[in-house]
Amino acid sequence: MTRALLRRVNVLGLLTLLGFFLLWELLVRTGILRFEYLPAPSGVLTAGADLVSSGELPTNLGHTLEATVAGWLLATVVGVLLGTLMALVRPVWVYSMASIDALRSLPIVAFVPVAVLLLGFTTQMEIVVAFYAAVWPVLLNTVAGLRAVHPRLIEVGRVLRVDGVRELWKLRLPAATPYIVTGMRLGLAVSLVLILVAEMVGNPSGVGFALISASQSLQPEVMFAYIVTVSLSGIVLNALLVGLVSIVFRGQMAAAGEK
Amino acid sequence: MAAMSTVQKSGVAALECQDLRVTLVGAAGAVDILRGVDLAVQPGEFVSILGPSGSGKTTLLRVLGGLQSIAGGEARCNGTAVSGPPDGVVTVFQDYSNSLLPWRSVRRNVALGIESNCSKQECRERVEAALAMVNLQASADEYPWRLSGGMQQRVQIARALAMRPSVLLMDEPFGALDAMTKASLQDQLQRVQEATGTTVVFVTHDVEEAVYLSDRVVVLAGKPASVGLSLDVDLGRPRDQITTKERPDYLQLRHQVYAALGHEVPR
Repeated sequence: MTRALLRRVNVLGLLTLLGFFLLWELLVRTGILRFEYLPAPSGVLTAGADLVSSGELPTNLGHTLEATVAGWLLATVVGVLLGTLMALVRPVWVYSMASIDALRSLPIVAFVPVAVLLLGFTTQMEIVVAFYAAVWPVLLNTVAGLRAVHPRLIEVGRVLRVDGVRELWKLRLPAATPYIVTGMRLGLAVSLVLILVAEMVGNPSGVGFALISASQSLQPEVMFAYIVTVSLSGIVLNALLVGLVSIVFRGQMAAAGEK
Repeated sequence: MAAMSTVQKSGVAALECQDLRVTLVGAAGAVDILRGVDLAVQPGEFVSILGPSGSGKTTLLRVLGGLQSIAGGEARCNGTAVSGPPDGVVTVFQDYSNSLLPWRSVRRNVALGIESNCSKQECRERVEAALAMVNLQASADEYPWRLSGGMQQRVQIARALAMRPSVLLMDEPFGALDAMTKASLQDQLQRVQEATGTTVVFVTHDVEEAVYLSDRVVVLAGKPASVGLSLDVDLGRPRDQITTKERPDYLQLRHQVYAALGHEVPR
């Protein structure tokens, strides 16, 4: 297990990253790179450590991640349900298609001020924003996945008397799972971004707000520490999702060559 | 009327078509694929359907399996008109890779048709029995896409057998397999049919396979196609890949089928 995990770690890739940070440190220290507010990586590291020990970073990160995951989970449930309805019930598709096209081509960022105005500076507002961001990829991938089910599989279902809800549950949804998971991964990434925007624009809490206030109070080390935190948590969230999915939907993902 | 008389002679046919007409809508509009097809398959009979490619063999099988609607005439299963897959009739498709559920193990693929209406215990027993019939117990917990083509097709056959069908409809089931695998699966199918007494309708484009396996060979001919030849195969059972195929009457039947398919016989 640990050996398999070790083999998956891209050592050369990580070395490149380390080299980049060393170069950055060097360029800032020697003064070749001269910006008034560009800290050296070592400074960022110390600032980060201080933020962690003071409890400020964990609190902010916790707030951001909670809102992201809550909105995204809600989006997954709604997206899969609606997507299933749209893919399988013709009238739902016909009636909703125009509205969906209009809504999803609206840049999601434009929705943030609307949410702030309607819901105020609340966590609910953040959750709604994360939900709105994530629901489109989940919905559209669910529709695409269900549409891509091979017709032979449906015939097999008819021949073996797997019909109605059982057909959906045993044939169509499992066949569409790799698509739905792709939608969930896209949705997770987008919700995290949109939550940050929402926190920057409005809500006085979370990583987005901390970033803005660090920038305004001229604390570049703190700002960069938060940036690094956000990017790491994006990676960790995605890895968690991928890991969880490959356990829960082992067969589906293995069949789709994801393992 | 000829078909009627055979039915009356031998009771209710397992499957029966009368003056069947099937129209498929293609890019060039509606085309009659089958017209005036009369066919009766008796319970326990093994009937092969042969014909040039595109002659409508698969279409005929889909009609019998309740997967294709008809434009005229009648299709009946045990005396009742076919609308949707009839009870006790299971189709095995040629493209096993699309027909198996890649996310389910072999065992769970085989259980697919029975898991909802059997007790856990009965389901397990029937799955084991079906796997044993096609000799797949050793791969029961593997994913089907990790298996060879022949093994995958055996999974599909086991899944059909687990349903305990009275009629098995097989659409070129061994068409995509190599000669060795094909021969061994033919013999396995013979044994299974002997043990279960299942009625089999078997679509193939392989003349030797049809004669070797069947009690009767039906050749589709014409465009739109109808039954051009219906030939009883009295070769006795069990049959053997070597000795049966050396018998003069086997060669004679093979000759007749090739001729019915339009091959010129050199003099």
